[in-house]
Amino acid sequence: MREINLDNLDDIARGAGILGTGGGGDPYIGKLLAREAIRKHGPVRVVDIDEVAPDATVVPVSGMGAPTVLLERVPNGGEELAALRALEKHIGRAATHIAPIEVGGVNSMLPIACAAEAGLPIVDGDAMGRAFPEAQMVLPGLIGVTNSPMALADDKGNTIIVEAVDNHAAERIARAVCVELGCQISAADTVLRGDQLADGLVPATLTLAERLGAAVREARAAHSDPVAAARAMLAGVHLLTGKVVDVSRRTEGGFARGRARIEGIADEAGQVLELDFQNEHLLATRDGVTVATTPDLICVLDSESGDPVTTEGLRYGLRVSVLAARCDPRWTSPGGLALAGPRYFGYDVDYLPFGS
Amino acid sequence: MIIGVDVGPTGTDAVLLDGGGTGGVTGGSRALRAVRVPSLPGDAVGSLVAAVEALPRELRARASQLAVGLRVADRALAERAGLAHVGVLRIGGEAADTVRPLFGWPAELRDAVCAGTANVAGGGGLGPRDGAPLDRDAVARFGAELAGRAEAFAVCAVFAPADGTQEREAAGILRAEAGADVPVVLSGEIGSLGLLRRENATVLDAALCLLVARVADELTAALPLLGLAPGAAVLVTRHDGTLMSLDHLRRQPGLSLGSGPACTIRGAGLLGGVRDAVVADIGERRARVGALTAGYPQEAGPGGRIGGVPVSLRVPELLTVGAAAHRDLAEAVDRMQPAAGRLPVVLVGGGADSVPGRALPGCDVVRPEHGGVAGAFGAAASPVGGHHERIVRAGPGRRLDAVRDEVRDLARAGAVRAGADPRRVRTLLEPDLTVPYLPGALLLRARAFGPPLPL
Repeated sequence: MREINLDNLDDIARGAGILGTGGGGDPYIGKLLAREAIRKHGPVRVVDIDEVAPDATVVPVSGMGAPTVLLERVPNGGEELAALRALEKHIGRAATHIAPIEVGGVNSMLPIACAAEAGLPIVDGDAMGRAFPEAQMVLPGLIGVTNSPMALADDKGNTIIVEAVDNHAAERIARAVCVELGCQISAADTVLRGDQLADGLVPATLTLAERLGAAVREARAAHSDPVAAARAMLAGVHLLTGKVVDVSRRTEGGFARGRARIEGIADEAGQVLELDFQNEHLLATRDGVTVATTPDLICVLDSESGDPVTTEGLRYGLRVSVLAARCDPRWTSPGGLALAGPRYFGYDVDYLPFGS
Repeated sequence: MIIGVDVGPTGTDAVLLDGGGTGGVTGGSRALRAVRVPSLPGDAVGSLVAAVEALPRELRARASQLAVGLRVADRALAERAGLAHVGVLRIGGEAADTVRPLFGWPAELRDAVCAGTANVAGGGGLGPRDGAPLDRDAVARFGAELAGRAEAFAVCAVFAPADGTQEREAAGILRAEAGADVPVVLSGEIGSLGLLRRENATVLDAALCLLVARVADELTAALPLLGLAPGAAVLVTRHDGTLMSLDHLRRQPGLSLGSGPACTIRGAGLLGGVRDAVVADIGERRARVGALTAGYPQEAGPGGRIGGVPVSLRVPELLTVGAAAHRDLAEAVDRMQPAAGRLPVVLVGGGADSVPGRALPGCDVVRPEHGGVAGAFGAAASPVGGHHERIVRAGPGRRLDAVRDEVRDLARAGAVRAGADPRRVRTLLEPDLTVPYLPGALLLRARAFGPPLPL
């Protein structure tokens, strides 16, 4: 993929929805914004991580807040650019590249729109390799890159610069700002030098999203199994195909916790998979045994269409296929697990090494 | 007594029920008579009159309520006929300008409906301070520009479900410019958060309002011919399996979209004496399979479309297969089952007898008496409905129970606006939902049901 244009945008969005592991926000609105920006400004050039000059200034941009609000107050695409400009002004140099902070969900699309508007290339990689809910859950944090300075912008022209003592504090400040400004803002943060990309980003994730989306689309067109196509593209493992027979949601100790019970069908009848979710799907337990945990990817797909099933879309009677895919290995280091392992999300479970 | 009517594409069914089944309970109602007459093409009210007149006159004279599934709105959208030209006003300003109104509509439907669109400054936010002032001059210019061309207006302001003030203000300006009797439909009265889908639903309502008003007039004019009890209440079906008054239909015609299958699913459950079931309505050519949850049709998930238009309406989840394709039918039934063989399967519709029990292996099959007129029965035995939902942020000092009561009251008010008897409305609080990525935020939802207010 050398450029993102009107032809491959749909595939990227489809793949990014799956990489959102149940969260990340529906890429649909973001896709429309990116489409409009590309129509206006032309295709976005995509560069591999190793093509970026060592002294380049790479700025990840993203939306922060509630997808519910995004669906109501549809952004005009200029908000990410406003955050980018505020950050450039603060650091005293111009961005040379845009990058996605997360490839999962709507935040795969907003940087594409921003890159088109700014006339900058986008880096084929992101700081998570999936979707996570908080600003400090990024791999650059493991190599000492801070998310401050962080620029935040709303749709009315307000901008805020956050210089926090650490990444967790920046998240807390940004979240408070977000809620105060109407629960949907844009962020530019976690500035990387070109020579930090190899250690700081998961490589080639936009390409992965595009291939994943294309694989699902082609499988559908060929009337073959889109779920199997997605699983193959992610080198994932099959956990269960079944029906959602129960979904419960409750708030506990400050965590909005959900749990779904999926009963196997056809030759998997009799098996039961319990899925624990918050904003994303986080734990999978089959017949009482933990089989996958965050930060590995747990993807729930509609077993017929291969469309991702989001945590809020989980409901009684739905037929789903659950698969797990390996996260970037840096997430499974002690530092990575402290940021995004099951215990961070309040579960009394250790990370289960993928495939064990 | 209550008369229920379902105007189908080929036949129109009418049933006569005794008792007060309108509370939504299974017991208490019995079908005394059921008739079927051929539908008159393009004449829903004529079909209705013919079906009701086929019921014995002395029984009709004791009917205090008539509940009708007309299906005129669905047909108009499918045939792109009888739709009003709509001026679409979005209130959101630049921030809402990227995705234009009517984006994603099938081109010929958009051409049939659109008289012009505008996006003016204004709109609200999640909180009261997050909004922007309404550009009244721009609204007036749009109204003046479309005066004489737009037969109706659809107004959709950002966050109108939280605060409808600007929509109401804009409606006043549009009426002043384009004529006091031009219908203006407001999104805040129609849907919940999600601008594009709510706006689409609002435009559909506006497009349908002239047609539906004409049909409502015809129905009102035909009433004296029917020989019902004096002052009998007249209601029409809506897509969540409840009823509404003719006045409410005029205000929100879109609520009737998808009401045919909704009533059939509900009627099947009532006739079969079950509250949770899979329902298969077997027609001549097609079979429709849906699910009944706690007595009402299970709603389709997000991402629904009507006439190809993405909308935010609570339509029933349905799978359609060929009526004679028993394997496809078994597959569809299984798909609607939460787990294999868990729920009974109610077979209704004219073709139900052509489906042998062995076509649905492992299922507890129920074939209720009068299953051929389940839609008419569902109409007759349903209450007037209303619902409300609201996002709240829980925080110190915020009393969620008080907000829940308010949401409940607004659902009740919705049912009363739709024609329910305020003294007899009961409400049902649905489980709270968390809002993703918005810590502490909850979506509170309530539904309300009640018998119609007697005239």
